[in-house]
Formats: sequence, structure tokens, C-alpha cells
Amino acid sequence: MNDHSPQDTQPRREERVFGVACSFRSVAEIFHAAERIRDAGWKKWDVYTPFPIHGMDAAMGLPRSSIPRVTLLAGITGFVTGCLLTWYTNSFDYPLIVGAKPYWSVIYPFPVLYECTILFAAFGTFFGQFIFNRLPRHHHPLFDVPQFIRVSDDAFMVVLEVTDPHFGNPDKAYDFLASLGGQDITLVRD
Amino acid sequence: MSDSRSPSAWSARWPLLAAIAAVCIGTVYGFAFFTPLEEGARNQMSLLYGAMFWASVLIGVLMLTMITRLFDAGWAPIIRRSWEFLLPALPIVILLGVAPLAFNPSVRHAVWEWTSATDHAAHAKSWFLNEPFLLGRIGFYIVAFGGLGWALRHWSFRQDGDRTAGHTHTLHAISAAGVPVAALTLTFLAFDCLMALSYHWFSTMYGVWFFTLSIRMALSVTVILTHLLSTRGWLGGMLNQAHRHVLGCLMLAFTVFWAYISFSQYFIIYNANIPEETFWYNIREIDAVTGEKSQWWWVSMFMVFGFFLLPFILLLFYRTKIIASRIVAVASLIFVGGLVDLWWNAIPRKIHDHSEVGFHVNDFLVPQLGLDLLAVLGFGALVFAIFLRTVRNAECIPVHDPRISESLEYHE
Repeated sequence: MNDHSPQDTQPRREERVFGVACSFRSVAEIFHAAERIRDAGWKKWDVYTPFPIHGMDAAMGLPRSSIPRVTLLAGITGFVTGCLLTWYTNSFDYPLIVGAKPYWSVIYPFPVLYECTILFAAFGTFFGQFIFNRLPRHHHPLFDVPQFIRVSDDAFMVVLEVTDPHFGNPDKAYDFLASLGGQDITLVRD
Repeated sequence: MSDSRSPSAWSARWPLLAAIAAVCIGTVYGFAFFTPLEEGARNQMSLLYGAMFWASVLIGVLMLTMITRLFDAGWAPIIRRSWEFLLPALPIVILLGVAPLAFNPSVRHAVWEWTSATDHAAHAKSWFLNEPFLLGRIGFYIVAFGGLGWALRHWSFRQDGDRTAGHTHTLHAISAAGVPVAALTLTFLAFDCLMALSYHWFSTMYGVWFFTLSIRMALSVTVILTHLLSTRGWLGGMLNQAHRHVLGCLMLAFTVFWAYISFSQYFIIYNANIPEETFWYNIREIDAVTGEKSQWWWVSMFMVFGFFLLPFILLLFYRTKIIASRIVAVASLIFVGGLVDLWWNAIPRKIHDHSEVGFHVNDFLVPQLGLDLLAVLGFGALVFAIFLRTVRNAECIPVHDPRISESLEYHE
């Protein structure tokens, strides 16, 4: 079953392993491979394709992004901050009547409140995705895999990551990918 | 597809709806034209109210039809065909609901106070607010909306038969020219039939407010109608989760836009604090004689919390937009909110009396609310009778639209 070249299969002693990569030749192949990896219970793995594949989210069993929750919390924080800002400056610290309006109400400072809401929500979304995506990141172990460059052209690649409890040892992951029909199975060094 | 779900089976039911429409609109006509005229013309307002409500739905449908053409929206074709079936009702609703009030001189004077006013405001605005020009404008609204709707249907329906992709380009051009025409027409319709009911008052936001209301109403009707057509009609197996998602996103966007426009109008008037503008909001909040909160105050609060905040919060959630029962529930809430928004805009008026301030404001809760709802039911039955009649004239989805497969396989 395991007929790969030995220098590629075994990590050298001091090396850390990122995972195991393999290629598929068509959308259908990688789609069905993704479904089987999902059904086997894998969580730490990813699919790399030259173009978006409709339905791949479901085939991989990906949940929806948590970013909207960050956006909502940040937006509420912004609204409350705007309320506190206008109340503190105009009604508490230096009470001032402008244009015969109350010291504070929810109406006259509404542009401030909703601008703060939008500003904070936008920052929350932007920086939230940085954190969730672990950015900035200047290098990735896959950049050292020679065939990875072809996923921007005509290759479809699956990478099983070592952090997944199913990973065990590289040989087990090799066998699993080979049973899915993956080709060019390669160890990815961290 | 079982036979009862086919377009022809649905279409056969149009006489029933036409009969309901005839009974309801006939009753509303009876109250409008055969009861004594009073200041405020509350009986006559029911006819205007019902017609303007469905005019707003259909104007939204007209705008969505053109906007989805202009943006080449890939999701739209299967839904747009239902909009095209609705379009012929628009000129008929204005013809049956607005024109009779305007062309009957005594009713016209009761509904549009400016026609018999002699004060400076009426004089200064008389270059626009004069009776021959009003009648001419109403004729123009009917012709402009009718013509646009006809053109949008004509080339779209012809594509079913001759399979010419070029008709899509023709419809592109019609929509590009039609959007500004329809925008101006709907703005002046809102000025004439709603804003001019209080002719002292003016708001430059009013046309945009009516546009946002129209789109919200059209989207809510679209969500409910397409859900019915997918569970009991010819869209079964075609309408998918992604279509609901895109309609839900549009509902969310226009809920925010409606709030933005409505609040901006309030905020500008609140900040300037000029009596000739603020009275319009005052009569919608407080009892002029006692200074207490009036019934309209609670209607206003429903607008803020029920027509904006609740739909806004609900539509933020992804699952609200994709689960059919939830998006239909939100669409129903927005539909009811639209009824209330139109009441709030059209009905409150100063009625002169002998109190110390010289007037009172007509209440929200009056028996004529039932007449208003009868008018809404009547014109709704009329609109869908015309819809079912028009279904016979074309395929139930645009089978030769260049984007039909993209629409059928639409994916988030």
C-alpha cells in the first residue's frame, strides 16, 4: 500500500511536521475526497483549489464564520461608547444647551451614535478577521512544497494537519490519503 | 408537478379574485362618493389609502424589475417573471383609486385642501398645486407607469417565443432610461397623493422615503408570493435557499435605508425647529389641545420599534434569511409595518374646531380603519386577479433568458 519514496515519507529527527499534502486531478475527485475526510471526523485540514468550488463548504463540513458575532459585539460597544461620549461631554462634564435641544437625548447625537456603531463594527470585523485568520503571517509551510504552486493553476490539493487528533503518524495519514485516491503524497515540514 | 400547481390551474381562479375586488372596491366607492363630505375626508381617504398602498408595492416591483435588469442579477430571472406578471396592475390601481377622487370636483376639494385654500402658502405654490396641472400629472403617472410596465413585459415575454438574446439588451436599455423616469414619477406621485395632503408642509426627503417604502413592500410581497408559489405553485423545486438569502439581504438593506431616510427627515426638521415644518410631526405625537401624547404617538413608536428595530435585528441573523418560515414571518411583519407607515403619513390632519388652538387632529382608531383594510383587500384582490390573468401570456419562468440556468442554480 505504502509505496512512496522513503526520503519523502520520514521526517528527519529535528524537523517538525506541519502535515501531509496530496493532489487530486479534478473537482469531482477532490469534492468526494473532502466529503470522506469530513465523514472520518477530521477538523484540522484544508482544501486548496485554483477557483472557488460551489458546495465545498458543506462538503468540508465547515461551519459559518464567527466574524459576524465579533461585528455585532463591536457595533454594540460602539453605540454604547457614542452614548457615553455624548452624555459625558454634553450633559455631565460641561452641560451645554445647543440649539435649544436637551443636554442629552437619543435624537440629537444620533449621527454620532450610529457613526460610532459603524466605525467600531468595521474595526471589529477587520481586526477580528486578522485574529481569526492569524494574520499577519509572512510565511507558510506549504510554500516549501514544490507542487503547491500548481493550485493556482490546475491542481487541487488537500492538506491534513498534524494538529488533528486523527493524524497519529505520517504513515497513517499517507495511507488514508492514498485510500482516497490522492496523488503526489508529500510530507509538509514546518 | 401535479396539475393543481400548474400556472393554468392557478390562472383559472382569477374570476374569484376579481369578484372579491369588485365587492370590496365597490363598497369603498360607496363610502367615498355617496356619503356626505366632511373636513378631513376620512371616508374618501380609504380609497386613496388602499390604492396608494398597492401602488407602492407595484412601484417597488417596477423598480426591482429594472434594477435587476441593470445589474444583470444572476439570481433574478425566475423571480422577475412574477414581477412582470404584477406590472400591468400598477396603472389600473392608480386609475381606479386616485383618478376618481381627483376628477370629482367636490371630492377633490375635500381630499386636497389646497384646491380650495386661499392663504399665502397655497398662492405661492399655485404654479405647481393647481387643479388642471394635478389632473394632467395623474394622467402622466398612469401613462408613464403603464408604458414602462408594458415595455418591460413585452420584450421579456417575446423572448419566450423567439429565443432572441438581443431582447435582454433591449430591456437593459429600457431599464437604463426607465429608472430615472420612474424615480421622478414616483416622487411626484408621493408629493401629490401624500405630501400635498398637508400642503403647508414640505420635505425634500419625501420622494426617497416613498421609494424605500415601495421597495420594502415589494420585497415583502415577493418573499410571501414566491414562498406560496414554491410550496403550492409553479416555483416548486426552483426557489432555493440562496434566493431567500438574497431577498433577505435586500430586505435588511432597505430596512436600514428606510430608517436612515425616515430619521433624516425627522432630524433635519427637529434641528431646524421651524414651526411650518415641525407641526407635521407635532400632529403625529401630541394632542394639540391637552399637550398629552395622542394615539398617533403609539403609532410612531410602532414605526421605530416594530417597523425598524425588530425586523433589523431579526434580519441580521443568517438563519432568519434562509429558513422559509422565518423569512416569511419577517416579511409579514414588514408588510403590516408598511400599512402602518402609510396610515401614519396619509391620515393625520388638522380638523378645524372651536377649541383654544382652533383645531384638533383626527384619531388613529376610528371605524374607517376597517374601510381602509377593505380597500387594501379589494385592491390586493384586483392586483392578484390581474397577476393570474397575465400568467397565461407567457411562460411561468423566462425559459430563454440568457441567465435562466444561473438563476435556477443560484448559489450563495
